[in-house]
Formats: sequence, structure tokens, C-alpha cells
Amino acid sequence: MNRKALIAVGLALMIGVGAPILAHHASAPFYDPEDRVELQGAITRFVFRNPHAFLFLDVTDESGDVVEWQVELGAPVSLRRVGWTPDTLEVGMVVNVTGNRSRAEGTHGLCCVRMTREDGGPVLEGGRVREANTN
Amino acid sequence: MNKNNKLAVTAALGFLVAASATAIVAQSDAEIPDLSGIWDGGFSVRPVNGVDVPWGEDNFPKLNARALAYQEAWEETMAPKYDCQPAASPAIQYDPYAMQITQWPDRVLLRYEKDDQLRTVWLDGREPKATDFSIQGFSTGHYEDGSLFVTTTHFVFDIAGFDDYNGIPSSAQKVVTERYWREGEELKMTLTLADPMFLLEPTGYTTRWLPAGPDYRLQPYDCDPEASRTSVRFFPSKYD
Repeated sequence: MNRKALIAVGLALMIGVGAPILAHHASAPFYDPEDRVELQGAITRFVFRNPHAFLFLDVTDESGDVVEWQVELGAPVSLRRVGWTPDTLEVGMVVNVTGNRSRAEGTHGLCCVRMTREDGGPVLEGGRVREANTN
Repeated sequence: MNKNNKLAVTAALGFLVAASATAIVAQSDAEIPDLSGIWDGGFSVRPVNGVDVPWGEDNFPKLNARALAYQEAWEETMAPKYDCQPAASPAIQYDPYAMQITQWPDRVLLRYEKDDQLRTVWLDGREPKATDFSIQGFSTGHYEDGSLFVTTTHFVFDIAGFDDYNGIPSSAQKVVTERYWREGEELKMTLTLADPMFLLEPTGYTTRWLPAGPDYRLQPYDCDPEASRTSVRFFPSKYD
């Protein structure tokens, strides 16, 4: 098991580039870095709380069923430093996410995500690379 | 209380105040570094903490059989951090968040943005009582040659008390020493850790902080138990 991979946070979300940065826990026990998933879904809930923010998406699968996916993000105390707020992601907003699939059977979780708006643009206008790199 | 008793009490109090003041001011200003301020310990300042940071090949602890047995039984979701139990020494110093140092004559206050933790380092010579066990332990310190030296004891047993990643517990025998000093704008710290209950020998690491921006204020962490435990469902437990 690759325990070195840590959960990605703001940089990935800001500029659409994955980055292994976070403090609270290692991602590899929970998510498989060898199993990358691409999804598009509508936001149903955005939990902006420490130690990790979570995003809930309704995703329509190949059979037409709607499945709720849960996306683990960074720590709000860090996300705030790069411009994120509880209002950055609105319910109903459609996003594209690519990330590591959760390991436990039957679960629908993602971490370490690259995320963009529906049109492929950055989630935050401007995608401030320098600030994203400063925690 | 008669007049003689009042005089005796007054004299005793006077002696205590004088002794205390002597302990506090015995050190010259030259010995006392300016450590005050808000310090950035984030990703841009130092490597991210993790399974092998700050613990690498050179300083990873040598574990005794008891610690190895704990590691064998351990799995990630047992970590009390998933229920918002705060990080403690020697891990909290390396978490990539801001820290504020306040220097008073009789104490130094270390306020961590991570987990909203406050440590008090007593400089007045007091000793811990038997009831002073806590997750952060009991810290005493002194200034010497431009550094702050801190010794912390009286930690409670912590099943993940070595760090956040390696499944190594720490016991009430854990002793953490820290030395803080300035190098230009940097704040440097060397930490050593001993715990004969689990470690065959002491180990340690050195790290640094940089000044946070002039307008930066510590943010509340306010750990949310639901958010903290949400990812646990994604972990395939070996005990299920």
C-alpha cells in the first residue's frame, strides 16, 4: 500500500492539477491511487468543515441511475487561505471531477481530485497558482 | 488571626513574591529571544507531514516489542483524530498550520491553529502536580543563550501519540523536549522524544516556521466530528 500519497487540497481544485498535500490523514488507506475515476455531477451538498471539507454529487451512471458520490477535499482552514468559502460551491452547480476511488466495497468516494466547472474552467475565477502554493 | 500571625503570613507572601520575581527576571534580556508572533508552518515553508515526514530513515524511532505489537493490531480508523481528538507533541508542531507564540514574563503561550490547541510553558519554576496529566502534557521551560528550552511530561496515554501516521502509541512516560530559537526571520525548533514504554531510544527532528503575513489571524479549527469521520466508511477494515 502506498501510504505516502496524501489527500490533495486546494491546488488541485484551483488549477485543475493534482497535488499530494494535506495534513490530517493519509489518503492511500481509504482511496486507491491506481483506480482513477472521472465523473460529472451536480452538487447536492458542500460541507465546509474541518478537518476536511466534503462535496456530495449526484452522478448519473451508465444505466441511468443516480448515485451519490462523496468527494473529500482539503481542510477549510487551508482552503480559506486560497480564497475558498462555504459559498464557493453552490448546490446545483455541475462540476467535473477526477480522483482516486474509495477502497471499501460498495462505497462511492473520491479523493485527491482535479475539479473544474462544467465548461472546464477553474472553480475559482483566476485560479491563483501562487496563492494555492502557499498553503 | 493575631498580629504575629499576620506578620508571619505577610513575610511569607513577601518571600514567595520575591522568590517568584527573582525566578522570572533572573535571566537577562540578551538570553531571551523574541519568538512572539504568528508563524507559518504551512506547505510552502517545509515538507508536508506524513508517514515519512519528519520521520525518515535517519530518525525513525526504534520500536520495542510492545510498540511493534501495537502496530500489528493497529489500523488507520482507530486513530482518535477521526473523532476530533487533537494532535499532540511530537506531531502538532509539524502539522502544516499556523502557530502563535506569546511571551509573558512567567510563561510562554503556544497557540496552534490545528485543533485549536493551547500549550502553556511555565517559566516560574513550578512543578506539575499528580493531577496535571493531559493530552498536551505539562510544560516547563527557561531561556538560555538566546533559546527557549521546553520540557513536557505528564502526557496521557495516546494510542496514536507518536504521530498521525505510523500507528505508534505514546505512554505517560513520554517526555518531549523542544528548543526554539531565531535565525534571521526564521523560527527554528529541535524536538526530542523519549518514551521507554515504546521506544528503544530517543529520537527527534528539527523544523522551522516563517512569519505569517502581517494581517494574518489564526482561524478557528472547530473540528466537526461528522466531517472528521466521514472518510472512515471508505476504509476496508481488517476487523470487519
